[in-house]
Amino acid sequence: MRKGYSREASVAGALIALLVVVAAVAPRYFSRENLTDICLANAPVLIVAVGMTLVILTGQIDISVGSMFAVCGVAAGVLAKAGLPVPIAALGACFTGAALGSLNGGLVAYLRVPSIVVTLAAMVALRDGLRWATQGAWVEDLPSGFQWLGFSQSSFSAMILLLAAGITVTVGWGLRNLAAGRAVYATGSSEQAAHLSGIDTRRYRFWVFTIMGALTGLAALLNSVRFNQIPSNSGLGLEMRVIAAVVVGGTAITGGTGSISGTVVGVILLGAVGPALTFLGINPYWEKAIQGAIILAAIVADKVSVRVAFLSSRKHASSPASTRA
Amino acid sequence: MQAALPQPALSRWRDRFSPYGEGRLLLALLLEVGAFSAVADNFFTWDNFFEIVRFSVELGLIALALTPVIITGGIDLSVGSMMGLAAVVFGAASKNWGLPVPAAAAIAVLVGCAGGALNGILISRARLPPLVVTLATFSMFHGIAEGLTEGAVNYTGFPTSFLFLGQGYLLGMIPVQVFVLLVVFLGYWVLLHHSVFGRALYAIGFAPEGARYAGIPVGQRLGAVYFLCGLVSSLAAILYVAHLGQAKADAGSGYELDAITAVVLGGASVLGGRGTLWGTLMGLFFLTVLQNGLHLAALPSELTGVLTGALLVLIIGFERLRAARPSAPSEVEGNPVKNSQVAILCGAILTGSLIVAAANIWLVRSTGESASRTSFSRVPSSGDRRLIAVMPKAKGDPYFVSVRAGAEEAAKELGFDLIWDGPTGLDAAKQNELVENWITRRVDAIAVAVENKAGISTVLRKARQRGIRVLTWDADAEPDARDYFANQATPEGIANTLTDEAARLLSGNGEFAIITGALTAANQNEWIAFIKKRLSRYPGLKLAAIRPSDDDRDKAFSEAQTLLRVYPAMKLIMAISAPAVPGSGEAVRQARRNDVDVIGLSLPSISKPYVHDGVVQTVVLWSTRDLGYLAVYASALLVEGKIPQGATAVHAGRLGPLRVRGSEIVLGDPLIINRANIDQLDF
Amino acid sequence: MPAPLLEARSISKAFAGVRALNDVDFSLFPGEVHALVGENGAGKSTLIKVFTGAIAADSGSLTVAGREVRHHTPATARSLGIGAIYQQPSLFPHLTVAENIAWTLEGGGLWHRVDWKARQRLAAGLIRRAGASIDPERVAGTLSMPEQQIVEIAKAIGAGARILIMDEPTSSLTDREVESLFQVIASLRAQGSGVIYISHRLNEIFSIADRITVLRDGETIGTRNTTEVQPTDLIEMMAGRPSASVFPKREVPHGAIALELRNVSSSAAGVRDVSFSVRSGEIVGLAGLVGSGRTELAETIFGLNALDSGEILVEARTVRIGSPAEAIEAGVAYVPQDRRRHGIVLEMPVAANTSLASLRAISRWGWIDGARERILAERYVAQLQIKTPSVDATCGTLSGGNQQKVALARWLATSPKVLILDEPTQGVDVGSKSEIHRRMVDLAEGGLAIIMISSELPEILGMSDRILVMHAGSIGGVLSRAEATQYKILSLALGHRPTGEMAQIQE
Repeated sequence: MRKGYSREASVAGALIALLVVVAAVAPRYFSRENLTDICLANAPVLIVAVGMTLVILTGQIDISVGSMFAVCGVAAGVLAKAGLPVPIAALGACFTGAALGSLNGGLVAYLRVPSIVVTLAAMVALRDGLRWATQGAWVEDLPSGFQWLGFSQSSFSAMILLLAAGITVTVGWGLRNLAAGRAVYATGSSEQAAHLSGIDTRRYRFWVFTIMGALTGLAALLNSVRFNQIPSNSGLGLEMRVIAAVVVGGTAITGGTGSISGTVVGVILLGAVGPALTFLGINPYWEKAIQGAIILAAIVADKVSVRVAFLSSRKHASSPASTRA
Repeated sequence: MQAALPQPALSRWRDRFSPYGEGRLLLALLLEVGAFSAVADNFFTWDNFFEIVRFSVELGLIALALTPVIITGGIDLSVGSMMGLAAVVFGAASKNWGLPVPAAAAIAVLVGCAGGALNGILISRARLPPLVVTLATFSMFHGIAEGLTEGAVNYTGFPTSFLFLGQGYLLGMIPVQVFVLLVVFLGYWVLLHHSVFGRALYAIGFAPEGARYAGIPVGQRLGAVYFLCGLVSSLAAILYVAHLGQAKADAGSGYELDAITAVVLGGASVLGGRGTLWGTLMGLFFLTVLQNGLHLAALPSELTGVLTGALLVLIIGFERLRAARPSAPSEVEGNPVKNSQVAILCGAILTGSLIVAAANIWLVRSTGESASRTSFSRVPSSGDRRLIAVMPKAKGDPYFVSVRAGAEEAAKELGFDLIWDGPTGLDAAKQNELVENWITRRVDAIAVAVENKAGISTVLRKARQRGIRVLTWDADAEPDARDYFANQATPEGIANTLTDEAARLLSGNGEFAIITGALTAANQNEWIAFIKKRLSRYPGLKLAAIRPSDDDRDKAFSEAQTLLRVYPAMKLIMAISAPAVPGSGEAVRQARRNDVDVIGLSLPSISKPYVHDGVVQTVVLWSTRDLGYLAVYASALLVEGKIPQGATAVHAGRLGPLRVRGSEIVLGDPLIINRANIDQLDF
Repeated sequence: MPAPLLEARSISKAFAGVRALNDVDFSLFPGEVHALVGENGAGKSTLIKVFTGAIAADSGSLTVAGREVRHHTPATARSLGIGAIYQQPSLFPHLTVAENIAWTLEGGGLWHRVDWKARQRLAAGLIRRAGASIDPERVAGTLSMPEQQIVEIAKAIGAGARILIMDEPTSSLTDREVESLFQVIASLRAQGSGVIYISHRLNEIFSIADRITVLRDGETIGTRNTTEVQPTDLIEMMAGRPSASVFPKREVPHGAIALELRNVSSSAAGVRDVSFSVRSGEIVGLAGLVGSGRTELAETIFGLNALDSGEILVEARTVRIGSPAEAIEAGVAYVPQDRRRHGIVLEMPVAANTSLASLRAISRWGWIDGARERILAERYVAQLQIKTPSVDATCGTLSGGNQQKVALARWLATSPKVLILDEPTQGVDVGSKSEIHRRMVDLAEGGLAIIMISSELPEILGMSDRILVMHAGSIGGVLSRAEATQYKILSLALGHRPTGEMAQIQE
């Protein structure tokens, strides 16, 4: 995937256009504090989106992340409240996520149940199960070391950003440069070719769901430690937001093509639009419509550009010059 | 293979009605009905049957429309949003432009067609994946609906002849909209199972290439399916409006996933080809019977999701296992699943469920003290003990969770049985459904925190006709639809208190912003209206912005952060949704803006850390515990006939005598909670 | 003589009761190019799949480099140094050329790092060795067919395969590319590798192969040294004795011209300047090797491929056929070759499959008349003697022959004027085969014009009134029933005119 940065470029172009308008109208948008806030708010989204990119690259989908997010957050809180040391509680959140993810992955990869069915079931079951267990109550009175995991606010904010960036860069790098990462692309690109190349596609399907779960757990943890209470209804609609970001970032829903850098741009675009519209003083009631239109425009525009690129590459391919020395 | 083997009648029946394992679902449905008949009161009655059907209609229409979409191997996530859009267009056309109902309905249907056509064109012409297209239109349609109504507008007051469509009965017992469902079902039945068009859809779903070779115009057919889906969604929206008597942007939100669940449960394959309308109908009834039965058996409605999820995986997984076994693995698949892998998988599933179960038990223990959990573990005996059903607006809301403690206290004190149930999110349709279920169950009294005045009044009147005493609390219904209203504070009172408090803190001068719940939340919109009115007294106060938090603490946090940056001169945030107060408080604290005050309407328990820190100055609220106590206590008095006509005071247990104003029992003035008194409050 | 690189003894393989390989022996020595020839369906592809581990033989033994191989899988094949280039390249469409090449070449664990520069160098080098220049950075999905083929060759070369199997590698290459490929093969041979080379182009075989093995009907007919054999011998070996089976062909008076093609060309389909006509009652056989454009021509007539130039006339009227629906309208029916993917819908019942292309005839205002559909289906079940428990049975449960009859029924139900049958008896058991042949004759007698595409020469010879032989996208020659022989057809199909030296040899 060394070529074909066009999608990222076009989405980045849209983002830049938006930011230019904001810069002209509300330059305060670019204050360090505001940018930090936006980044912090979107760091968990980015982490989940990185996992979702993996899932979608293999040609699957996971719509249970919102519910998993809530379950993992509450799990972290409950563990911390039960008197376990905070780092253990943190690990517990990630482990809960990984366990739930592996459940999805097992059903998808080995029983070959379509991923949308599996994760739809997980979505409703986890959400209602959590409601049942908590009766809607928040986890309150967390130990004092829970918020910021005992660090100071500013240093831990930096840590969250570094962690999110680290995960993104690592996964992005791994996807591009590790054999395992390339196998993720291969799995989603052509099942038959993967088989002929000796790739066990089921294994990759299983693991991307497990990683997705673990990352969701981590995101839930990083989100909850910014506060001193954990609501039991967090993550509502997270799946749609994350899938939209990944798709806007150019990852094909059918798998095989896409990139983490695209996802990053997608998350930034969707994350930056909301506050930007506030800064621009746009009526909040129209925000969702505008966001929907932006997603649609990005997808359609990309389709058009892909078609143009395909036609030109076809011409390129059929010209004998390209195949002859 | 022999020619013309005689075929047993049974297997022919199976081929016809259960080609894709619908039989298993029928079995599950029968088991379900049997189980609920045994444990739930008045479940197995005609009345209840028709109520179930009535509440299945809107969802049913959506599920019917989605069936052909899924049969072609596609999906449409935008149906729920389209319902909301069509509902507000219908409302606007009928109320704002003064068009007669048929004309307004025609316009709404046109909007549905346009939306469906947009999906269809993008999918069949631009060849974009259906999931991606409808994900985008899902948020766009919803956004347009919110934008058109500014979230707040709630069209009500439709002519009774129109409301009859959604609320009336034919022949005394058959709900009118059932006929619409029947007609649409028959229409789709013909279309899918008996028409050239439907045959093409199956061929496309099974083998898109094969369909092309058979001369089927694949693109046209696909476009038409999504078009129809939009059309039926708008039809469902009109019925929804007639049913609830209100048209709001949030109509039908979340229906897409319920409908997909129904279709998939009904045996349709998301990979295309497989599925019948008959199966969808069973999947639909499986879901609605489950909800209804759980309500009637006073089991927690959260079980719906858990059971649905489990059943989905079971039915589909079972089918996959069966399908995988007899046929040799395809050439691509090659290496079959090894036993060790199956063992690992089973292990993983077991561990997973154990973890979930353990986590649940743990959670129950750890959160037990904040929400004592008595009612759903024991099914109230219908013997001599009286039964009061209390409904919050939303079960998961911390505000209502704390009300519940008071309600249980009163029930225990009086020796009444209590059902505490409500929608999981703000959902007017679900509230109506629950009241209907409680009528069927013949509870002695119903106490409702009303989400939608016009919509719920019809069913509450029905409850009163059946001799059930009706009380409203938190928010009122039409006066003739209930006996009394437990009034904790009027919207005006709340708005005035908040505004006055803001003026006091700002010394009458400065900018402030409001963070509300969902933009469509009725209560908050009413408060905002009164706040704006009260502001005329304080010319120095300026309302800079109103931002939504969607009752999500994290979103409130982000919104507050943005507000702090956009309006640096802003000195006060007024958060009028329970999770928004801690969200805003945290934002202010993290921004170290000591100059900004936060006030709002929230629970002392979740605001406490911020009040102590001095970030949140004031929280306005009444004692939620007392409200719950009053709701149940007053209901009990009503049941026992202890509130005489024209009473001017009611003696409500530990609350002492309370004033009665007309048919309103007044709880008292809102509490102004601050650092001084917050530690004395236990809710 | 050195030990053979690969030796297969008594390999047999059957698919669902149909025998694809029977007791086949084959050996390959180091430094040898061993050509495998035979008609379509002679069992060459099956044999190759046995070598590459894609399918397991039912019986027989396979020895590679002196060791007998038991559980043969694609992975063991690779580790044994067997590389294959299939007719249909299977690349990852979203990945770059360099990456596609690297996939099979790079060992190492999951966590080893990809060296992109090395990959590129490797890919560029291998592509150069394959005699082409393709940018290794291009995404495989944008490559043309020959380019994809070259990537496959580069993959195999790079894998250092000692045993290289090439299944018609040249069918879509230009002369220049073929030449450089031969250089590659020559250098591989010089390095001591063995090449199994499958091609229909006899001249290629004679210029590159050391030995030639002829397969026919899944059996080894013989192995010859290239120096000791003439093209004509080879054709005779491939064709075999005139088939003993009796075809139920009857003389039927021919009517007016039902279908006429005038200078039909389609660049998308690779069909060039085709003109011919078919009369009603006539059965025209369309012969030619795989890749000669037979199916593509049929699909062009049926509206599945865009027509660039030329005219199609049905019953002397020019018709515009832009889609299958318009073809049906015009009276053209096409029973496609890939029965399971295109011909029928496996999951649907017999009745629904039968009526799928003629729903209009059994419906009124879009409502399908179930009774009429059953009558229609039952009529064809009876007429074509389709063996099915009932018309409600799912097509997937029927045997191949009966599935084919259902596909045929679907198109007969459209009451066509012209019926194109693409490999109507491929993968069909013997009984159903003659059954289908009898129905064809009946249909012709009923006034239908039939074009039959077949790779089976006896079938072409036995059933056709006239034979069109296609070669490289155009009609290579026309033979009347009286003059046609297997030899003449094969010669035309292979691009040899049965004149001059070869014609003399034949006589």
